[in-house]
Amino acid sequence: MNKWVQSPPWLLGFLVLCALAVAAFIVNMTMEPIHPGSTWGIAYGIGALAAFGVVLLHSLRRRTLRFQKLGRSWMYLQIHVYGGALFLLLVFMHSGFSVPTGVHTWWLWFLSIWVVGSGLLGIVIQKWIPTVLTSGLRVEIHYDRAGELIKAIRQRCEKLIAKSDPRLKGFYTDHVAPSLGGTNPRLTYFFDITGGIHTRIKPFGHVRPHLSGADKTTLDAVQELFTSKLEIDAHCTLQRALRGWLVLHIPVSIVMTALLGVHLFSVMYY
Amino acid sequence: MAESDKKRKGFFGDVRLPVSKEYVYPAKQTFLFWVGGIGVLFLAAFFLIDVTIKEGVLVSNGPLSSAHASFGANCATCHTPLENVSNDKCMVCHEKFGGDQGIYSFATHYLYRSTDFTRLTPSTNEVSCATCHSEHEGREAVLDAVPSAMCISCHEYGSFNDQHPEFEAIGSGVPDPANITFSHTRHVNEIISKVGETDLEKTCLYCHQSDPVGAGFEPISFDVSCASCHLTASSSTDWLPTGGNGVQTLATLRAQRGPGTGWVDYMSPGDFQERSGRVRKRPVYHRDPWILENLKRLQGIMYPDNELASLLRASADVAPEDADILYEEALATLTAYADELRGIPDRSVQRSLSEIDDLMAEIKKRIRDPLSPLDETKFLLGSASVDPDIDEVTLSQYKELIDGLTLTCQKCHSVDNASIGRVSKDQSTFVRAEFNHRSHIIQSGCLDCHSKIPIREFAARDSVAAVKIDHAGIQNLPSIQLCQSCHTPKKAANTCITCHQFHPDKSQHSNLLRYLN
Repeated sequence: MNKWVQSPPWLLGFLVLCALAVAAFIVNMTMEPIHPGSTWGIAYGIGALAAFGVVLLHSLRRRTLRFQKLGRSWMYLQIHVYGGALFLLLVFMHSGFSVPTGVHTWWLWFLSIWVVGSGLLGIVIQKWIPTVLTSGLRVEIHYDRAGELIKAIRQRCEKLIAKSDPRLKGFYTDHVAPSLGGTNPRLTYFFDITGGIHTRIKPFGHVRPHLSGADKTTLDAVQELFTSKLEIDAHCTLQRALRGWLVLHIPVSIVMTALLGVHLFSVMYY
Repeated sequence: MAESDKKRKGFFGDVRLPVSKEYVYPAKQTFLFWVGGIGVLFLAAFFLIDVTIKEGVLVSNGPLSSAHASFGANCATCHTPLENVSNDKCMVCHEKFGGDQGIYSFATHYLYRSTDFTRLTPSTNEVSCATCHSEHEGREAVLDAVPSAMCISCHEYGSFNDQHPEFEAIGSGVPDPANITFSHTRHVNEIISKVGETDLEKTCLYCHQSDPVGAGFEPISFDVSCASCHLTASSSTDWLPTGGNGVQTLATLRAQRGPGTGWVDYMSPGDFQERSGRVRKRPVYHRDPWILENLKRLQGIMYPDNELASLLRASADVAPEDADILYEEALATLTAYADELRGIPDRSVQRSLSEIDDLMAEIKKRIRDPLSPLDETKFLLGSASVDPDIDEVTLSQYKELIDGLTLTCQKCHSVDNASIGRVSKDQSTFVRAEFNHRSHIIQSGCLDCHSKIPIREFAARDSVAAVKIDHAGIQNLPSIQLCQSCHTPKKAANTCITCHQFHPDKSQHSNLLRYLN
């Protein structure tokens, strides 16, 4: 199965719907100008509203997982993703592919782009990050256990260092201990999941020639633990993005839903 | 295995990190909904403040155009809750005369643009003003800049440069029955030789005089353009017999005082010369009432069934502003007819009376509104055939009399069936579009576009063009291709509203309303 397309039939159906919608728009455009108040403009607006309603079903399904008769959650996710993209297309068609001039209509237009755009960003993140994490790191951790595992690493390091030479202790105190206080997310992990780690363990090689045989063994053990900690940092960095994109998506979509209500009110009432 | 490790479920990774002792649930993200909820609360507060205290900026679909900006927050000026913007609201300002079908209706559009008065019935396809005039598109928006696509939704033309029909005057190919003998090349050469005009373009302006705006031209007037050369003091009728089968003298007409002969008091007896039972009028005036009155009388004798048509057509060359006089005269004649018939109980007479009443209604309508085209064929009560009781000799005498009476007239006008052909041609050739000469004359000369009559070829030459290529019936208009060479998407404007207006001229407002109401 293609990493980016889980279900070709869904993609095909989506593309067919988009093509039909665009074809209808082009035909209508030759007959009369399309703007939100024209007959076809309103029709596209109703279509967009319907698509938005269907898209929201995913949120409901997530809260009704116990009811198996409602179908697979995966199907609702497909509807959510492709329906959302179709919704944005219909919004553009509703506005005649022009930027609205009204305050709430402009915000509605902008938030529609934002919500669908952040949703697409979420898809990209969810497809890309897990692959990166499994391809370049030896450790795989649960995001919510990061603090606990770092603490365990720190304790084991301190236990090892306690019996070692002062030079190794100094090295540990200056170069290793500051990084074991907690998670240290770094932007560089987005660009190279391993490059940052290799650079940061180089000092271990610099100090090794100056240590005795027993301390070298201790240094190697500490290096292994430190490397694991850095990999946990990489995990935290990328997994935070994996979860954090929802901040861009959900609150804004809630506000957009309310603004859609304002839009419907203003259209129906006036 | 260390003691502490025993308590664990296992290890993972190269450094043997402990596996969790219990299932780790992902952290709840309920706060996302709280953040969204706060956003909604802010939105709701803004919305309430906006619609109650402020100007409803939030619910508006955009700023109003400059023309409607003064309505501000008063949405009800145009909007009716739970309904579309109705034409009624627009008409409060735009249809001062009231009524539900005015100048801005589709019915008026059909009437105005087609000049088809059968389309007076209000259209069932009436659409709201807002369909074409889209508001809330910003202060700078121009509401009457209706996109061509709106027109194309009814009119099946791709655009001005695609499938637009030829100008009707060109496309129909029907010669204009100008009823006047006129050679452009002869007159241009006259101006060149007698006035000494050297600029060929300027020779046009000696007769075609611009209106004050420069968009079009005033109708050609005999008094302004022709009188200096034509109908001089020496112009006269032939010597004509009087009485019986002859003409009626001024004295006779004064004594009769028939309808529409008020002019007899002002006509000088000195204009007439009498000699052994014959009379000659000298000089002859343009639209000479004595000639027309006698011609009308002869028509009545020769073509008794033609009656009103003759009456209407006899007053040849009537200017639009004088048309009322003509129709008032027809109305007076009809009324006199009708009054005589009303007391006769015969069924056929009463049927005729009914026809006359219809005709009177038609004429009254025409008098009320000069826009109303009067179908003169309606006034052909019978055929245009000669009265069978008139013998050949008498008929020949009448024809000779008519020729003598219209001797001077026939130098320019056609005379047929004892009537002077009415000169219907004027300067307004485009019925459905406007053309602004002023906008074009800067770039092109008159003859660059009006080239169907070969004025350039015959300018300052001794000869004039043959009648078949130089007569008043030629619509000296360019074909649409010439316009399309400049009015293209990449050059001059080529939208529908560049030339066409949907709504009639406001100056015709009251006239149209009268019909539609």
